[in-house]
Amino acid sequence: MNDWQYQPAQDIDLTPSERLRSYRREGGLISDSCRLLWWSGVKSSLKVWHRLSVTGREHLPESPSYVLVSNHSSHLDALTLAASLPLSVRNQLFPLAAGDAFFERPATSLFAAVMLNALPVWRTAVGRHAIKALRDRLIETPSIYLLFPEGTRSRDGTMSQFKPGIGMMLAGTNVPVLPCYLHGAHAACPPGARFPRPLPIRLTIGQPRLYSDVENRKNGWENIAQELESDVKALGGLTSDQ
Amino acid sequence: MLALIDNVTWQRWFGVGDAFADPVTVWIVSGIAAALAISGVAIWTLISRGRVSEESATELKQRWISWCWLIVAIAGPILLGAFWTVLAVCLLSLLCFREYARATGLFRERMISVLVVLGIGVLTLAVLDHFDRLYFATAALGVLVIVIGTLWQDRPTGFIQRVALGSLGFLLFGFSLGYLGLMTTTPDYRPILLMTIAAVELNDVFAFCCGKLIGGPKWLPNTSPGKTISGAVGALVLTTILVAVMGHFVFMGTSVDRWDRLMTLGVLVSGLGQLGDLTLSSIKRDLKIKDISHTIPGHGGLLDRFDSLVLVVPAVYHFLSLYLGPLGADQPMRVFTGG
Repeated sequence: MNDWQYQPAQDIDLTPSERLRSYRREGGLISDSCRLLWWSGVKSSLKVWHRLSVTGREHLPESPSYVLVSNHSSHLDALTLAASLPLSVRNQLFPLAAGDAFFERPATSLFAAVMLNALPVWRTAVGRHAIKALRDRLIETPSIYLLFPEGTRSRDGTMSQFKPGIGMMLAGTNVPVLPCYLHGAHAACPPGARFPRPLPIRLTIGQPRLYSDVENRKNGWENIAQELESDVKALGGLTSDQ
Repeated sequence: MLALIDNVTWQRWFGVGDAFADPVTVWIVSGIAAALAISGVAIWTLISRGRVSEESATELKQRWISWCWLIVAIAGPILLGAFWTVLAVCLLSLLCFREYARATGLFRERMISVLVVLGIGVLTLAVLDHFDRLYFATAALGVLVIVIGTLWQDRPTGFIQRVALGSLGFLLFGFSLGYLGLMTTTPDYRPILLMTIAAVELNDVFAFCCGKLIGGPKWLPNTSPGKTISGAVGALVLTTILVAVMGHFVFMGTSVDRWDRLMTLGVLVSGLGQLGDLTLSSIKRDLKIKDISHTIPGHGGLLDRFDSLVLVVPAVYHFLSLYLGPLGADQPMRVFTGG
């Protein structure tokens, strides 16, 4: 008789607090139920409060893994991108969130990990091993990353240059990346705002790009970042120098 | 709904004033508090005199603090009343199943996890309702529902494995552990539960100490390399004596209060406690993992702490029912459902 094939949780050797921050984190029934409630609420409130409209949904791949990249100027950005996806992918959806903002304190870590399913990106030291861990997870486990390659929220709503980390994650992989542009999120909830204003938000999802034939080297990473930046700007109707 | 509950049940559920009505409860709680205080002083002395390495000191402190929290979490609900005990047992069952499901990978089978959680919910309601027949029926019906619950997925690959893992998890951590709650149907549940839990935990300590002091051949080296025959026999002797002495006071004046029956109860507690421990060891060896989780600092997972109870509690319940009649038979039945 053959042995059964067991697959213990990938994060089984971690303490509860380590698990919240880990890229190997795997959720169960509790986090699944929490996310169902959370994302249902977010979807409804964005629909009602911000009259969220999404164009380009037909570009979304049928199944993970894939990456959504977008301009970033508001805390509503990740919520809006996630809300544009079906609820059924809520456990495969991973917003990449600033580690120092979301994963420093136990309460925010718990919220970010359980409700948002966020994975931390440590802005002060985004080492290659961290990006490699994210890349490995993307390749090995069906995952959807929500990523803001500018690295931080724009204070005035203008777009900054994309950092090459996105290229390190995607170069030489078969994972499609979809450029997106968020209209109106900055006006609705700019950095420093305590409560979002009831202004409309519009999300445009562009054609997917694949970088399987791009060499996993510095030049390739920079080219990917530049190309995606141009795509996002084009979706927003911006010129390349804006 | 609470207004409809009779006074007798209300008193059993929430009668915190009766917490120390039985002197055995006072002795056990005092004994535990004293043991904690003495061990705390001993650890503090060892550390302050530099008798242990920094690493060992940290681990000792962690283990002691975790024990303090565990004792509050275990003894607190038992003293507060049956209602809180049943809720605590429900939570314990859910958390133990969660650890087991994460270790085996069963947690990825959402439907089976949902069915087991619902089964634990039904067991909890059956205990609160004091509907014993529903409790016992849930064991069979629960397994049946787990077996048929995923047929509609039309995914025969891995069917036996996921259904068997789900059924085992439900029976061990829902049904068997749920007997802790079922024991609260008798108003004298406090000393019985405290005695059982304390004896099972001390059984582990006795086995460890006897094994270290006497040494000798290993018992089941492939399952649990640390366990020795001397440890097992030592624990069997010491725990049996402990249970017989405590049981004499707990069951004074009842048909259980005979030395042969009390000794049998002690052998059941010690023997099944050790076998429960070995059951979890077998599960861990099969999964090739060292700790089932890291929930309790210094201890590992909840299952590492409560594994020995899983087989003991149903045996104690049925042993007592054999001589005392069904536990709680003098209490109002089917509190919610009537009939």
